[in-house]
Amino acid sequence: MILWEQTRAAFLCLRRAQGRGRSILRNPETRADDSCFLFLKSEVMAGHGRRTLSFNVDSVGINRGDSFPPSLQQPTPLFPVMEQKPLPLAAGEEAEYLLALKQEFRGAMRSLPSFIQPAAKHRDVERYSDKYHSSEQSERLVIWTPDWKRFPRELGIHMRKPPRDGVSVSVSHSTKVQSSQKKKTVKEKKEVLLKLESLEKKEEQQSSEEEGEEKKKQEEEEAEGEEEYDEEEFEEETDYIMSYFDNGEEFGGDSDDNMDEAIY
Amino acid sequence: MTAQEVRLCGLLLQEHFGEVVEKVGTHLLKSGAQNLRAIVHETGVALDLVKKSLCVLVQHGACVFSSRRKGAGSPTEYLTSYDRILRILRYPRYIYTGKTLYGDTGELIIEELLQRGHMTMSSIVKTVADRLTQNMEEGCSMDYNEVSSAFSKLVETHFLQRCPPQKTQASDNSTTTTPSDPVSTTQSTPESFPDCYKVPHVTLVGRGKRPHPGEDGEDQRNAKRPKLDPETHGDEGIYWQVNFERFHLHFRDQAIVSAVANKLDQTSSEIVRTMLRMSEVMTSPTATCTKPLSANEIFRALPPSYNIARPILDQYLTLLVDDPMEFVGKAGDSGGGMFVVNLHRALANLARATIESVVQERFGSRSARIFRLLLRKRHLEQKQVEDFAMIPAKEAKDMLYTLLSQNLVQLQEVPKTPDFAPSRTFYLYTVNQLPTVRMLLQNCYKTVANLIERRLFETKESKRLLEKSQRIEAILASLQASGAEPEQLTEVEEMITATEKQQLDSLRLHINKLDSAENQVDETIFLLESYVNSTATS
Repeated sequence: MILWEQTRAAFLCLRRAQGRGRSILRNPETRADDSCFLFLKSEVMAGHGRRTLSFNVDSVGINRGDSFPPSLQQPTPLFPVMEQKPLPLAAGEEAEYLLALKQEFRGAMRSLPSFIQPAAKHRDVERYSDKYHSSEQSERLVIWTPDWKRFPRELGIHMRKPPRDGVSVSVSHSTKVQSSQKKKTVKEKKEVLLKLESLEKKEEQQSSEEEGEEKKKQEEEEAEGEEEYDEEEFEEETDYIMSYFDNGEEFGGDSDDNMDEAIY
Repeated sequence: MTAQEVRLCGLLLQEHFGEVVEKVGTHLLKSGAQNLRAIVHETGVALDLVKKSLCVLVQHGACVFSSRRKGAGSPTEYLTSYDRILRILRYPRYIYTGKTLYGDTGELIIEELLQRGHMTMSSIVKTVADRLTQNMEEGCSMDYNEVSSAFSKLVETHFLQRCPPQKTQASDNSTTTTPSDPVSTTQSTPESFPDCYKVPHVTLVGRGKRPHPGEDGEDQRNAKRPKLDPETHGDEGIYWQVNFERFHLHFRDQAIVSAVANKLDQTSSEIVRTMLRMSEVMTSPTATCTKPLSANEIFRALPPSYNIARPILDQYLTLLVDDPMEFVGKAGDSGGGMFVVNLHRALANLARATIESVVQERFGSRSARIFRLLLRKRHLEQKQVEDFAMIPAKEAKDMLYTLLSQNLVQLQEVPKTPDFAPSRTFYLYTVNQLPTVRMLLQNCYKTVANLIERRLFETKESKRLLEKSQRIEAILASLQASGAEPEQLTEVEEMITATEKQQLDSLRLHINKLDSAENQVDETIFLLESYVNSTATS
């Protein structure tokens, strides 16, 4: 029974091998791997009383006595040895001129606005060499004004109008932020002054009033405190909103002006 | 599109437009048409950078966009074409051709256009005139008219063409167009527009300006944004681009002429050149052969400087027709014989010669003999190969199997019985030219990508050295400009030590070699591509 199972397994192997028969010859490497099947086949065939190979091994260049070439078990090397030395490159005036053109063109492309740099990475510490790198980058901030009629609308609509002196958008953005912050601080100072004044007045009022009715005064104070608190919050809110709207107006006005223009 | 093509496109984009464009471009290449949202989402690049990258790609013609592909109201989709990006590899050759045909002016026009993607005529003329003036001696300047006429010549010979007019926003949003033809409207070629090669009337008077030394930066910036100038020249909105197809036809003709010169002699190549020039305007770009020309016509069109007498011309033509490369064919007997140039046949033969030489250089001349044998006899059994090639059986088998494993030779099975039993099957070796050429083409793409990769590696390795030498050169230049003492100059020069100088020299040598190798592989790529394209049309 066990023997029968083995023969059956051998037969299955054989069937597979025959199925692959088409590919066996195609590749010399697999041919070597599959050679075992040939032997297997001859053994199995012996059981049936026919001792013939399905094809002549000689025809693939292997003689009776020869051993099969070793099978390859690893991928081909990344840098295979070159059996033939390559020819030297064609030299001459044309080749040299083409070379110069190629290198020049590549250099020129780097300084064009179409060469897009990724957003500068956040540096951990300021380095001495930074100033040299920044000078490299500033060279390529050349203005490019495409004709937005030739581009899909979605690409151009949010482009901000550049500042007139031709500095990059990111720089101008930061200056805008800075200026708005400045405004804010000035406003805050004014508010503080106003508040102090109002407080002074109130104190004067308070001093002019009778000093009895402490409860009432306390309540008043509390109310005042609340009032103050409210006022502060309210003012801060408006301040925030106003500055927000300031920026928005600036942007809006710009894009209204010149919707179809953007500059990198 | 294969992995090799995508890899090469990515490297080319990175070198010419930066990493961001590379990321967006390769993503588009891999994923096909996509809308803006999807690109932003899948690349993880910031929205404004994606927009800029798309603008750059559209500007350079490497990306087309279309809306309403999926019906009205669907978002605009972007699609890059890899063959357009691979053209970047051939840019030096286009520029060089511009120079050989139309001098420095032609060279600069092509160069500017390739750098910027597309431009208006007035801005090209201005920029080129300014650049030419800068290179001229003091007191001379380039007239705009001269540049304009060179430009017009380039357009007349179809080397430049108008960018196809874009669908305007208004018509984009209008609902009058039927949604059944959205694809056909966007896929139209530039040639399909009647005004494609019409030069607009441009009012441009003046001469190229030389930047004054004091306001150098200011003037340069002005030169680089001519469109901001308040004056108009009457050609706003008409953009020009380089017609690559026309350049390729020119390259093809050149390849045929030089092949004839190598195969036969100079005189016959001049005859073929004349034939090609005569039929240049009449033949369509995809024609398999030129329009028939009679020997009389050819004789009259030959430039008198060649000194070819009529009987000699007849002899040469017969020789050309009899040549096995079949560059020239005979189409009839009238008019002293009608002759054509077999364009596609010539390309096929040139491609075949390329494969043969690849086999010869990589596997030796005896393998090449087997290869040529198979090419000529089509199908051969192993035994026949050994016999015909007159190579000892064992070696012949070895070579044949090597070629087979490299996929240069294919194996065809012809079973006598339907069961494919190996003992009753013929195994015929054969060479299929077209698949082999396609494979070699992929190998070429891989080669160029490897060359670029290697060059980037070499540059990266000695980045510090290169920066140092650049800085010292800058210092030297500024010192020389300010009239410094020679001792000072030598002192600065000595900041680069001898070993560093040696390293720099060898680095330059390597990079030059890699760069020229790229150029020369591209010549092979061109030949193989043209052959593949010609089989697609014929």
